[in-house]
Amino acid sequence: MVAGLLVESPAGEGVARPRSAAAVPPARAVWWRRALRAAPPYLYLTPAVILLVVWTYRPLAQTVQLSFHSWNLLPTSPIREVGFANYERLLDAPDLGASLWQTLVVILGMLPFTLVIPVLVGLLSRRVRGRAGAVYRALVFAPMLVAPVAGAAVWQWLLDPSAGIVDKVIGSPVNWLHEAGTAQIAIIVITGWHIVGFAVLVVSAGLTGINPDYVAAAGVDGASRAQATRWITLPLLSPTMAFLVLMTVLLSAQWTFPLIDTLTQGGPAGATTNIYYLLWDYGFHSYDAGLGAAAGVLFFVGFVVLASGLVLLSDRLSHHDD
Amino acid sequence: MTTEGAVDVEQSVGEGSRLRTVGGHAVLIVLSVVCVFPIYWLYATSLRAPGDVYSLSVLPWPLSLEHYADAFAKADILRMLINTTIVAVLTALGQLLVGLLAAYAFAGWKFRFQKLLYLMFVGTWLVPFQVTMMPNYVLLSRLDLLNTLAGVIVPTLCSALGVLMLRQHLLGFPKELLEAARMDGRSSWGILWTVVVPTLRPVLAALGILLAITAWNEYFWPALVLQRSNDVVQLGLRSFMGTEGNDWGPLMATAGLTCLPVFLLYMVLQRHIVNAFVRSGLK
Repeated sequence: MVAGLLVESPAGEGVARPRSAAAVPPARAVWWRRALRAAPPYLYLTPAVILLVVWTYRPLAQTVQLSFHSWNLLPTSPIREVGFANYERLLDAPDLGASLWQTLVVILGMLPFTLVIPVLVGLLSRRVRGRAGAVYRALVFAPMLVAPVAGAAVWQWLLDPSAGIVDKVIGSPVNWLHEAGTAQIAIIVITGWHIVGFAVLVVSAGLTGINPDYVAAAGVDGASRAQATRWITLPLLSPTMAFLVLMTVLLSAQWTFPLIDTLTQGGPAGATTNIYYLLWDYGFHSYDAGLGAAAGVLFFVGFVVLASGLVLLSDRLSHHDD
Repeated sequence: MTTEGAVDVEQSVGEGSRLRTVGGHAVLIVLSVVCVFPIYWLYATSLRAPGDVYSLSVLPWPLSLEHYADAFAKADILRMLINTTIVAVLTALGQLLVGLLAAYAFAGWKFRFQKLLYLMFVGTWLVPFQVTMMPNYVLLSRLDLLNTLAGVIVPTLCSALGVLMLRQHLLGFPKELLEAARMDGRSSWGILWTVVVPTLRPVLAALGILLAITAWNEYFWPALVLQRSNDVVQLGLRSFMGTEGNDWGPLMATAGLTCLPVFLLYMVLQRHIVNAFVRSGLK
């Protein structure tokens, strides 16, 4: 905590502030000066806070308000108050449950790409350093930089049932993106492809941060390599792994959105409609603002509960290298 | 427990450790191939002659730029690229400026409601975009900013990530420098621009590139704001993707062009970009 670094340096004032003048000040001048002294941090924060209020917190409040109304998003049409009707409709319709299930599927399906493969690759390749290591890092990271829509385009081509290389190699025309069973798998694999390199680099950064003396000491004490990994390296890596899990849970469904919107539009038959896509669908395809807002509110509350739970859990589980 | 101990261990498993190194290379080579193949295939397809699009040969030969010509003929790709550049650069610069000022306030002063204001920034991560999109859409339409680039840029100008990362760096800023500047009688505004910014230039550059790439690749918000037009490359690319009967050559050429600026930047600044992304994830 280095706060208070510039405490004594109000804007526009140098060191030459006359002390004596402050000794017998008129009351108003004191008030004015105190305000001036306190002003700088607030002034520096003003643009950011205005933007946050206008574009994040105002709309959040309005979404809550909108969830009790019925409206079709047209400025000319009336907004009617409907109480909890939107929430009732939402909970009665099967869409919500199905989309929550799909969200869960996406999150679980992403964990191999964000946690399992990165940790395995990280552990197996600890010894690869230097120039070769830098080249591998550059290559595995590249998909992260591919725009989601471009990724969608190239995978649509790779997975094309008549001409795509994947089906030609496996020798059977699977229509990956248009069959209920495989569409969700395809979405997960494409998202995983985007993110896996990033997760590998996060894990190897975490591994580099672990003091090698611990493992060496265990070796001296007769621990096998596997034992050292299981009982020393993995526990020390747990903050990194907790971060990766948190990231997966909170962002997975978000990452899939551009892919779903361009490749499957939530189909076939809703098989890839997760909660994010459902919100989009209610608002901008069905023009049912109230229903969309109600879903958004429920979702936001669930999100906050989930995130705080995970943060608490990861705090408790993490071993810290002190 | 000392380095000597470590050396002993290394020597006792000399043979095994060489094997392990080879294994490490093998694992990374497989992963690299899996990661890069789709990108390679994208550019390979885009460079094939029109008759060879369905060819499975690994090398696209003979090379042809016809798909690119085709893509340029079908859509005003140049204008999209320029528009996207404008959006990416202005978004990144705006986010840097707004973020720098806010981070300066958090790192440099102790003030009332500091915790609360800080939580306001962290809290934005808990508000998914989809929850705020409808009111934001309505506000943009009232401001007459729908279907404009300003409508794409303005709502994203405050990046919580930027604020938090810059604050972290400012907290580690050498106090002596600030002390000295203050002794010179400079205002906090002057210190920001003559001392802090020049020293933080590498950090600002790395973060700026990260923010610009993110803005370049952004899809959701532009899709909402620019509904009827295809003014940025991501949307132009989407309009190329039919549900059936894709024209794969020009589509791959457009996708290749969409990614090209980012990849060029990546080739020049590879290490810095990777570090910026990984650090943004770790903080």
